[in-house]
Amino acid sequence: MGTDLFRDKILILDGAMGTVLQQRGLLPGRMPDLLNLTDPELLASVYREYAEAGSQVVYANTFGANALKLARSGHAVSEVVTAAVSTAKRAVDGKALVALDVGPLGELLEPLGSLTFERAYDLFREMMAAGAAAGADLVAVETMTDLYEAKAALLAAKENTALPVLVTMSFEESGRTFTGCTVASMARTLEGLGADAIGLNCSLGPDQLAPLLRELCENTRLPVAAKPNAGLPDPVDGHYGMGPEDFAAALLPCLEAGVTVFGGCCGTSPAYIRRLKAALDGKRPAPRRCLEGSFVCTPVNPVRLDGVRVIGERVNPTGKKRFQQALLEDDLDYILDVAVQQEEAGADILDVNVGCPGVDEAALLPRVVKKLQSAVSLPLQLDSSNPDALEAALRVYNGKAAVNSVNGKPEVLARVLPIVKKYGASVVGLAMDQDGIPQTAEKRVEIAERILKAALAQGIPREDLWIDCLALTVSAQQEQAEETLKAVRTVRQELGLQTVLGVSNISFGLPNRALITQNFLIQALAAGLTLPIVNPNQREMMDAVAAFRVLSGEDDQCRDYIARFAAVSAVPTGQTAPVLSGVSTLEEAVARGLKADAARLAKALLQTEDGLTLVERRLIPALDSVGEGYERGTVFLPQLLSAAQAAQEVFEAVRASIVEKGGAPVKKGKLIVATVRGDIHDIGKNIVKTVLENYGYEVVDLGRDVPPETVAQAAAAQEASLVGLSALMTTTLPAMEETVRRLRALERPPVVFVGGAVVTPEYAARIGADEYARDARQSVEIARRVLG
Amino acid sequence: MSSHLLEEALRYLGAADAPETLRRQVEAEAETLSAGLRPRYVYKVCELDFQGEGIFLRGTAVILTGETARKMLAQCRRAALLACTLGARFDLSLSAMQARDMARAVILDACGSALVEQGCDEAEKELSARFPGQYRTDRFSPGYGDLPLACQGDICAALDAPRRLGLTVTESLLLNPVKSVTAVVGLSDRPQMARIRGCAYCQMREHCALRKGGKHCGN
Repeated sequence: MGTDLFRDKILILDGAMGTVLQQRGLLPGRMPDLLNLTDPELLASVYREYAEAGSQVVYANTFGANALKLARSGHAVSEVVTAAVSTAKRAVDGKALVALDVGPLGELLEPLGSLTFERAYDLFREMMAAGAAAGADLVAVETMTDLYEAKAALLAAKENTALPVLVTMSFEESGRTFTGCTVASMARTLEGLGADAIGLNCSLGPDQLAPLLRELCENTRLPVAAKPNAGLPDPVDGHYGMGPEDFAAALLPCLEAGVTVFGGCCGTSPAYIRRLKAALDGKRPAPRRCLEGSFVCTPVNPVRLDGVRVIGERVNPTGKKRFQQALLEDDLDYILDVAVQQEEAGADILDVNVGCPGVDEAALLPRVVKKLQSAVSLPLQLDSSNPDALEAALRVYNGKAAVNSVNGKPEVLARVLPIVKKYGASVVGLAMDQDGIPQTAEKRVEIAERILKAALAQGIPREDLWIDCLALTVSAQQEQAEETLKAVRTVRQELGLQTVLGVSNISFGLPNRALITQNFLIQALAAGLTLPIVNPNQREMMDAVAAFRVLSGEDDQCRDYIARFAAVSAVPTGQTAPVLSGVSTLEEAVARGLKADAARLAKALLQTEDGLTLVERRLIPALDSVGEGYERGTVFLPQLLSAAQAAQEVFEAVRASIVEKGGAPVKKGKLIVATVRGDIHDIGKNIVKTVLENYGYEVVDLGRDVPPETVAQAAAAQEASLVGLSALMTTTLPAMEETVRRLRALERPPVVFVGGAVVTPEYAARIGADEYARDARQSVEIARRVLG
Repeated sequence: MSSHLLEEALRYLGAADAPETLRRQVEAEAETLSAGLRPRYVYKVCELDFQGEGIFLRGTAVILTGETARKMLAQCRRAALLACTLGARFDLSLSAMQARDMARAVILDACGSALVEQGCDEAEKELSARFPGQYRTDRFSPGYGDLPLACQGDICAALDAPRRLGLTVTESLLLNPVKSVTAVVGLSDRPQMARIRGCAYCQMREHCALRKGGKHCGN
């Protein structure tokens, strides 16, 4: 039905509801959704006027009818939605279709706010179910500025109704939404998730929206909708200035750009729709041309695969003891750190694998995805052989992801491809099947063709299938290197597919591995490898890719290459670390916040000193002297933190040396930190955490907006003897008090210290906290007293 | 980038007398930030209606209760509601920075606070140009004095701030994105005395614990 409704014709939607109601006396700021119950006749007159003016679809007055916004109204979602849809259906009386209008929930989703993706989905599901039951003809998700929220709404519509879904988002003139989402990311993600039509609404007038609509048309095969404002509002009185005539005229260039679904947003009225209908009368949809090609993205980072793109391999526990330890300890910060390093080293996509004995992948992989997307902007390639883990992770991924991997086994294809299709991901197909890895290039290509056929049959577009021809260890099967290269060449040239290769495998068991890997990488790139999976922290690999991009013409005028080597030309040959400043003691390196020096000096000292001694005799005294300077006012907060970060490098070196030697990790005692319920400002808590960690304490960070019961449960489960709580606003102090009360009620109550902007020592005492910490430095003193 | 922004950022850091290296770091951060991000603001001028239970802003659902508003707006017939934000993209870059470099993150945080205040200043300048001959009161925000935080939501709704700025109010009445300000500025025919002008002018500025933690009480 979605196809029939939108395809190959011009469709006219309605204009504004909110601003029309304001013209008829509604105060800005009052909930228009309650009018569905209190004044349905007023709404019916607006629907009727739109239908009479030429709207083929009217939006029911349900923009904010979600449980979050209705919470204080005393009315249920189903009550409001049912009233709205039935009033609209009655008013238009079959002359127009009625859309369930779904606007943003009114609170920001994670990681920006504390509304979880799952909760957002549930809120939307409630609306969708009510809308479908009330007889809505379609769903119109609109005015979204967060792609994540748009995804939650779209999934809720698709999974709970059989209605066609139009999703429109609001952009600034810069071509991004408030949350930084690009037009291309929006288009590729929502098309992949199965929207029936997509478009832009609100925020700008038709003039400013036209170039963005053109870009949207180039990035999707779906019908495209435009529902702009009547120009820009006057800053003083909020009045929208563009008249119906100008509005309609300004929308015609959008028709030429490929838009086929038209309407108006803020400031428009039935008069605008009447004029628009007249202007579009007799017009035909313009031919469309979508930019073909493979694509993955996060909202802020669209990655078009039109050259070599490096996939970072480091988020993977295989053969890495430190990483395995982090997984078992649920240390997501460590995993984030590994990801961040690869982003900084120039990776374009990150492979994410958390499979390890003792780990529940289906639970962990989505949590890692959320963690990574809170601070890394690269698209992710979700790497697991567990379909449940893949589905759980794809569900919470914000953007268009890749899946690693399927292979030629029919049962694997049958299980995984539908998930890939549902979430609009790209997928890596390994050129192997139930009989293992074929020894010849021809056989591997055959499997690739089989996977392609299965993907196409599933509705996965050709450009979303990437083939991995499999690099084998050359020291074990020397003739296979050539076969792999041959297979890459054929898959790229004859099947025209993207090619993936885990390049590092080639050199296992050989001395000077980097040389072999780099050589193989270069040969594979020449054969047609487009997506090498490598360690981007290895300079040889990234250098080879940079050089290849020059020689293939991809790096226009060698710009990237020149920039890359202009930046590193100061580093002597063979040295990959950043330039060191030449400080000679660990204490000085820490005090001055010189991370690279601190790491180097620590490693040197660890040759002769054990980790614990190094920490106690050198590191802690160095940190203390910085802390004293901070108290005296001669050292400032950023410097205190720089020292802490240099100390972290030392700890990392100590940890690595202990893991290497198989000893027990150095831990000075565990504490829990959290920002209390209702509070979203967490930088203060993070400062405390950074400093405490770098004194060697194990800090369990529960995050921000943490309910009192969660803190109490964690304290009991972790048997923590110290808990730190932070609150910023007077409105969240009651939550702090309740949290302290719950902690006090535990069988073995921990020592509780509190801090934050509005917290005073008197208040701390009054709510029963044991300690008050003015700043991070004081929290160290408290930790010392309690944990030693 | 204005030197004012740098000085303000240093003040938010509690490091007005920072050594040269730190100053340069803050300057670099402030420069990058202000080059890549402009504060966005909306405002709306309303007639005031002084009633027993508070000051009503005509054409909106906003009622300003308490002595602070009464004192600040005593000589005004009109007032502007104002909302300004750095937007969600600042929050994203701040969390990305926290994952990379906590020291730079606190600097970025302070620069953000300074930049959003600068946005409010720009909005006020624009407002002045629109209303020549009118005198502005200091701007004051929900939570200041006895003006309840609870009016935050009505102010945002009156300004259509969720739609026009992507600005939301959480259940606990915090603004989100975090570098955001809502405020009221009175307009009067008579010159107005400067009552409040933010941390930079606060007597507590050298000792304030908030500022030590990179925070402030103004928003």
